[in-house]
Amino acid sequence: MIETTPRERRRNSQKAEIVAPPQGFRLPKPVRRLQRQAPMYAIQGLSSLSTRLRDLTGRDVIDMGRIMEVVQFIYQQRELARRGPNYAVDEFGFDPQWTESFLTIFKALYRDYWRVESTGVENVPAAGRALLVANHAGVLPWDGTMIKTAVFSEHSHPRHVRALVASQFMGMPVMSWFLRRTGQAVGHPDDTRRLLERDELVLVFPEGTRGTGKSFKDRYRLRRFGRGGFVATAIRAQAPIIPISVVGSEEIYPMIGDFGPVARFFGLPYFPVTPFWPWLGPLGMIPLPSKWRIQFHAPVDVSDLPPSAAEDQHIVMSLADEVRDTIQRGIYDNLKLRRGVFL
Amino acid sequence: MPPHIPRRVLITGVSNPLGAEVARRLAPQVPYLFGCDVADPVSALEEMDFVHADTRLSVIGKLVRQLRIDTVVHLAVLVDSPHDERPIHETDVIGTMNMLVGCSGPSSPVRKLVVKSSQAIYGAAGGDPSFFSEEMINWDRLASGITRDLLEMEQLVSEFALRTDGCDVTVLRLGYRVSEDTSLARYLSLPIVPVFAGFDPRLQFLHEDDAAEVIVRATVGRQPPGAFNVAGDGVVLLSQAIDIMGGRPAPVLPPYWRWFSRLGLKTLARVDLPRHLADFLANGSVMDCSRLEAAFGWKPAHSSRQTMDALALGKTVEVIEPPSPPQEYELQKYLQARRRRALRLSN
Repeated sequence: MIETTPRERRRNSQKAEIVAPPQGFRLPKPVRRLQRQAPMYAIQGLSSLSTRLRDLTGRDVIDMGRIMEVVQFIYQQRELARRGPNYAVDEFGFDPQWTESFLTIFKALYRDYWRVESTGVENVPAAGRALLVANHAGVLPWDGTMIKTAVFSEHSHPRHVRALVASQFMGMPVMSWFLRRTGQAVGHPDDTRRLLERDELVLVFPEGTRGTGKSFKDRYRLRRFGRGGFVATAIRAQAPIIPISVVGSEEIYPMIGDFGPVARFFGLPYFPVTPFWPWLGPLGMIPLPSKWRIQFHAPVDVSDLPPSAAEDQHIVMSLADEVRDTIQRGIYDNLKLRRGVFL
Repeated sequence: MPPHIPRRVLITGVSNPLGAEVARRLAPQVPYLFGCDVADPVSALEEMDFVHADTRLSVIGKLVRQLRIDTVVHLAVLVDSPHDERPIHETDVIGTMNMLVGCSGPSSPVRKLVVKSSQAIYGAAGGDPSFFSEEMINWDRLASGITRDLLEMEQLVSEFALRTDGCDVTVLRLGYRVSEDTSLARYLSLPIVPVFAGFDPRLQFLHEDDAAEVIVRATVGRQPPGAFNVAGDGVVLLSQAIDIMGGRPAPVLPPYWRWFSRLGLKTLARVDLPRHLADFLANGSVMDCSRLEAAFGWKPAHSSRQTMDALALGKTVEVIEPPSPPQEYELQKYLQARRRRALRLSN
């Protein structure tokens, strides 16, 4: 049936259903509009206030950059809650959107809490694979998070660094979930190879738990660098090695003792005792606000070595020692540049 | 040695759904197809001869020699089943042993053997590497349940492959499948899914179609012998899978003491989670399937995500009951007999 005249159309059309407004109290329309637009007005008001205060006092009283970061954080969390199951993680379980949404917190720690000064970030390649090798200290791996934050927020091409984690932590509840989701992989040669073959930046701590679990009196003395396995992997994958010296991580938890039996009971590599932990309970887990410096050294090129050199233990160990010396030297240089532990 | 072309194929364990699907796909590709199982097939194939035979007894050897079988597709390997551990051990280890004994020896006509195995053979521990490639089986692990049975089974198969020169052995380690009647699917379909607190593992799935397809390809194809991982592309996080299914995760299971969680699930949610699946749902395991792609020139058509989506879609679709199976079976048997009689008359 084809309706031609407007009259017919009117006669055959159905009456529009009148949607009843929901029962109960409802705010008046202008108030509701205001409610919707309140965040925008608040930001506008704050920015004009900050401009006026700057004109008056001559310095930034309200830093709009920080405020926008907080707003961005809230919006990112809302976006995450809204996306449902419609996202993809890579085969290692890395969720970039999720990770970036939490970066604001780590950036605040990086900038305001530990006041990290990083030098030589340009040594990290903007594209392609590289193996970052750093010293490991502090009871919890905060140095890893700070290196990741440094490369993501200071580099001209923000990139995610994929750190390698000791396999025992990957079996722990919460830890395994968080580490996998933020892009970490198991410290297994096969995982390293796969990550490098995907042209990722891989961060490795050859000292492992020997570095994080060392006592305060041994601070800034590097432990043994494993058996040089990281060099062999880098040679096989033809990835440049970038040594990183981190200064400041040693002082966040001054470890004065180790409860061995408790550690064995919980299956941990060590159970730290600091002046605050475990005496103050959860408060003792707050890291101290030491001053940090991170230096990225010039890459060690291994592309001129044939893959068979990975089997040559002499070449591997001498390269590992070279990397270790570079890191140790960088630590001493940066300790000299630092004015004080907390300054 | 000329490449082996399968002519007379025997499928063990043909009555389970996967076996039936493999038989249906193989039937037009090989001249003679035989199937054996303990139970009656759900629907008989006209082109297949069905024999009641239990792999746990030594009848397979006689069957193989009498029927001059040149290719055996061994699917009578239970992985996800409601049975206790004992019958599973009997079927997987003793059954495979009998099958291998039947296929070995100078009088055996078998030239090719395809064995179904499972991802469960790798187990799932927290400190495992992110990907399992074929040679990464952890023989030293104190395995239990299915993992131990599969380890024993594959050891028997590899010994057979070493001993027997003229027989190509292909082992297919199939990824976990989530069709409607698997424990994994039942678990994921719960409205509130109890998960292990503090874990969000990476899961990898294999679609039923791809499972059948890879077995068929392994049977008629000319890939080099050996073990192959088979699973869909990519991974799905457990929380994502639950979200796709429309449920809500509830992190109430304690991260340690798996037996306690399994008991709780069995009594409260009526989901019987075998030990290897409990480990899988805590730590996850992902296989590297690059060898399959290189050797077969084929990879599963459905990614892990698509397999999960298909399961979620199936939850909302109304299932139409197939025609009553016994009738169908009788009809197919009658047609088969008729066809044979006609053949005999024409000869």
